[in-house]
Amino acid sequence: MNTSNTLSSADSNPPQRDHSMFDAELSGAVLNMQLLGRLMGWLRPYSLSLFISAILVLLASCAVVIMEVVISRVLVDYIIGGEASSIMPDLGMIEFTIMVQEWFGIEPIYAAGLIFGILMILYAVTGHVHRLTLISSIVRGLRDLRQDLFSHMEMRPSSFFDRVPVGRIMTRVTNDIEALYEMLRGMGGLIGEFVPFLVALTIMLFTSVKLTLILLLLVPVVGIATFFFRRASREVFRLVRNTVSALNQNLQENLSGMQVVQLSQREEKNLAIYTEINKRNRRYEYKSINLATFYGAFNDSLASIGLGIIIWYGGGEIVQDTMTLGGVILFTRFMNMLFTPVVMLGEQLNVLFRAMASGERIFQALDWDEQIHEPEHPVKLPEKIAGKVEFRKVNFGYRPDQPILKNVSVCIRAGEKLAIVGPTGSGKSTMIRLLGRVYDFGRGQIFLDDVDLNDLPSREVRKRIGVVLQDFHIFSGTIHDNIALGDPAVTRERAISASKTVNAHGFISELPEGYDTELVERGANLSQGQRQLLAFARVLAADPEILVLDEATASIDTETELLIQDGLRKLMIGRTSILIAHRLQTIQEADRILVLRDGVVEELGTHAELLANKGLYHTLHESQFQDA
Amino acid sequence: MKSLLRLIPFLHPYRYKVLTGFIGFFVARLFEATAFLLVAAGIDAIDLLGRTGETVSGRSVGVIALGIVLTVLGRFGVVIYARIVLRRIGIAVAFDLRQKLYASVQRQGSQFFGRISVGDIMTRAIQDISLIQRLLSFGLILLVIMVYAPVIAVVVMFYKSATLAWFILPGLPIIFVYCWYMAQQLAVTSLAVQQRLSDLSSHTQENLSGIRTVQAMVQEDNEIARFLKTNSAYADAFYAQARINSLMVAWMPLFAQVCQLAILVVGGMQVMDGQITIGDLFVFFYFLNMLLQPIRMAGFMVTLVQRAAVATNRLYEIFDAEPEIPDCPSGETPAEIRGKFELRHLSYTYPGTDKPVLKDISLTIEAGESFAIVGRIGSGKSTLLKHFTRLVDTAPSQLYLDGYDVRDYPLSQLRIQIAQVLQDPFLFGEPLRNNISYDNPDREVEHIWDSADAAAMRGTIEDFPQQLDTLVGERGVTLSGGQKQRTALARGLIRNEPVLILDDCFSSVDTETEEHILRRLKEMRRNKTTIIVSHRISTLRHADRILVLEEGAVAELGTHQELVALNGIYAELERLQTQGYIDHPDQSEEMELDPV
Repeated sequence: MNTSNTLSSADSNPPQRDHSMFDAELSGAVLNMQLLGRLMGWLRPYSLSLFISAILVLLASCAVVIMEVVISRVLVDYIIGGEASSIMPDLGMIEFTIMVQEWFGIEPIYAAGLIFGILMILYAVTGHVHRLTLISSIVRGLRDLRQDLFSHMEMRPSSFFDRVPVGRIMTRVTNDIEALYEMLRGMGGLIGEFVPFLVALTIMLFTSVKLTLILLLLVPVVGIATFFFRRASREVFRLVRNTVSALNQNLQENLSGMQVVQLSQREEKNLAIYTEINKRNRRYEYKSINLATFYGAFNDSLASIGLGIIIWYGGGEIVQDTMTLGGVILFTRFMNMLFTPVVMLGEQLNVLFRAMASGERIFQALDWDEQIHEPEHPVKLPEKIAGKVEFRKVNFGYRPDQPILKNVSVCIRAGEKLAIVGPTGSGKSTMIRLLGRVYDFGRGQIFLDDVDLNDLPSREVRKRIGVVLQDFHIFSGTIHDNIALGDPAVTRERAISASKTVNAHGFISELPEGYDTELVERGANLSQGQRQLLAFARVLAADPEILVLDEATASIDTETELLIQDGLRKLMIGRTSILIAHRLQTIQEADRILVLRDGVVEELGTHAELLANKGLYHTLHESQFQDA
Repeated sequence: MKSLLRLIPFLHPYRYKVLTGFIGFFVARLFEATAFLLVAAGIDAIDLLGRTGETVSGRSVGVIALGIVLTVLGRFGVVIYARIVLRRIGIAVAFDLRQKLYASVQRQGSQFFGRISVGDIMTRAIQDISLIQRLLSFGLILLVIMVYAPVIAVVVMFYKSATLAWFILPGLPIIFVYCWYMAQQLAVTSLAVQQRLSDLSSHTQENLSGIRTVQAMVQEDNEIARFLKTNSAYADAFYAQARINSLMVAWMPLFAQVCQLAILVVGGMQVMDGQITIGDLFVFFYFLNMLLQPIRMAGFMVTLVQRAAVATNRLYEIFDAEPEIPDCPSGETPAEIRGKFELRHLSYTYPGTDKPVLKDISLTIEAGESFAIVGRIGSGKSTLLKHFTRLVDTAPSQLYLDGYDVRDYPLSQLRIQIAQVLQDPFLFGEPLRNNISYDNPDREVEHIWDSADAAAMRGTIEDFPQQLDTLVGERGVTLSGGQKQRTALARGLIRNEPVLILDDCFSSVDTETEEHILRRLKEMRRNKTTIIVSHRISTLRHADRILVLEEGAVAELGTHQELVALNGIYAELERLQTQGYIDHPDQSEEMELDPV
């Protein structure tokens, strides 16, 4: 039955990972094409919708540019000026106006109005649908990415979660995905600005190459101003953000520890510290305002100076008949369009920079392939197993140089109750972690009904072993949800009967809505003892063959304590039970007691045997009574 | 709206700045209007040049172009000044609001924090203040724009062509109402997006915090499916908001273009009739923008005003809260406390509740005595302790310290000379050194080590590479429950005051460590009053006398031997515990060895 496999016979612990890597070992690249390409993978399912969006933005851009042509060329030159043809380009709009005029038999001015009206509706509709299709593709693509990321994280082993704080994973699932949205949306918007810019530029070039080139000289000026502004403001914004978060952190901490603050008479000193940060924040906020205002006014003014240039240059051209009045006006109308893309590009650079960092973090998480060993050829367990557990020369350490378990061997018979005792740090919790397939271990083997644990899928093992940890988790949701944990097989009847057995039914039925009572913030409305009972009910409802329990040590009032003891007793009936016990009563009721010290099995036997041994167990036992 | 008036005191110091900003803006607007009028004059000049080749004297395109540049430069200077002045006011007021908030919460007691949670106060400090900052920074500017722009634009338009003006102006209120309506819609959907986003965060947070349970119970697939719902709900809400936003983005230019259409047709005909010039026509185009710009923003402004009004109210709820504990020292109390407490029919009911927590307790704790209190959860132990440092408002003539009513002592004196360690071992995100010597950061380092030693924390600290400089909390080392308790204990022990109060401070400390602490405590507290709450007989038995509280009343009082002999609650507790526990280990074991 004992199929050995490579992992359990390996001579060392599994490879160590550097989890500090998870805290953003970033390349700092502004534009990482590989990353962008990978991101596009999530948008691919929505490429049709993206394509439509691109076509529409093109249409909208053309519409908005043509509207200007209608105003300056058709209205000013053709209708008012009476010039039906000239050297200046009009995109055929004058001819089209004449056609409309003849079709409907209306005045030219009404024909121009009609065309203008149609264009503006076209612009509004295509623009709207463009934005909708674009946003919908991005939102859906990122939803899928977030889902994949979450699923991936959900499957990482405990060794991962022990080292990586929850907050870091949270950031990736929430903020980092948001940053990608900002970037993709910004890119879409940039295209929406660039297309009209190019169309307008083309028309301007055809109208007057020289004037266009003169005006284009202003663009680098805006570009340089944008560059310096962005560089300066990135630094200032960073300082603003830092001081804001320092302010918040200081206040939060002061609030949480208010009684300590008041009892230590630290109010004034703390206020002084806060004032200092607050002042720094104000200084940087002022700076950022100065920068933004100066930059905004600079751009505005430059555009207006452009108008002066157009008037001055246009006056010269018109005398030589190389430009029409409509052409001059066209330039004044397009002036703003020249700068917008540069300004927007500047805005987008910051977004892009942030998004690249976010993207790297997200993909790093998706590539984090740390996982618990799973067998290539899993052994299938029968429907019901007896529940025999054997540790055979198990060695383990969280770090190679710090062994926690040393050659631990113990055989627990089916249905036996084993209590594990030992001083803090002796390796008790580690033993049950290995049994629950929470960590891979190097040397030694653990058998479940004589099957090597490493030959079983880890989830199969966990289904057979019900673990009640000290920090069992209460989910928000109803009491019933917390007992059933999404398992449809756990009906209300089963939940109630499980709760009754472990003495949880009493307090549950006293709650306003019984089993349907919503638990707030991880069961904050339940006492420590009630939560313990709820955790018992949860395990009983799942009905595993083996029970593993880390007995709670927190102070619980004596009455609830008795309920818990009784509930536990019932929970253990008919199950192999392995208990990290702290209460003498629990220990005495166990069939055998295993005493661990520094990762070594020091003693193993019944209560009476161990007392007679006069060893570590005896000492632990006596220490409680020494001056009684 | 009325609540916004409450901001006036905060604006008062900046009134002259507001005024200069307003004036500056008006000048800037005039410059802007002039520039546009000059462009229009330029168009007319070019028109004239093109048709006749003539130039009106003083109105050559060169002069006009120069005029445009000069006007623009003038505006540049003025607008920077005015904008900076006005936008700084929002920041300055936010600064003042934060100061006020900080000072206000520091005066408050447990009742206040029971009513407004820490998270709630944080929201007010972050979101509400920033709403007001935005309202003032943008609002003041928008206010001037909204006043100046229509006035200037309307004057110019009517001057140029009243007929054309009448074609455009009636449409503006419609645009305004529409903008306002859409801004409301947008505010509603934004709220929904915020809500869904916070659902998403808390769902993720909760799931990840409970990942061990999820995996132990093999619930990964269920959890992933559950997350898909939350995830999709957020995506849907986000899209709904984007849709409304896009509609708004689509409609606004459409409105503007309808006006342009009117200018095009009506104005075009007027030009042909010779009533106005082409330049005048473009004056209309330019000033149309000037009119629409504030209207566009006004919609958002209405929402901002509404939200800022609510925010102001929420802030004032904190500013207006009276300190719970009146501090009116009589001036006759001694400067040094000796530590004798007399409780004379002490009763206490938390305000807003009707169930008394303490009922008619009368007893005396002698100066220098070590006094222990035991009782079930909810029996009133912590509440009783809070009376000694006046963390709750003790009624007059119920608690005497060294013969004087505690209410007659200055609050600061009570809290300096009575060191109290709370049940919840709160630590600040600072180095251990500062946490232990919190009341006085300038203590000698030996002193800090000594108290760490007394609290059995010395060994642990020595194991940290950075020793006393080890940062604790989120950005530093995560301490176990027991380590936190011992650090908090060290913070109390370092003070060596006439009275020391310990509220269940060893519950996560193992028996051996507890022995060490109690031994040190005995040495340090010789002839000084020590009041200690505990569940453990092993702690209680060391006290001179033990009080058993039961439902807020004295049930038993006496020495360990007396109470055991009494064969009551205490004796029962002793029997259960000496047979019930073998050890009291720390919460976690291996991870604690690993202070990364």
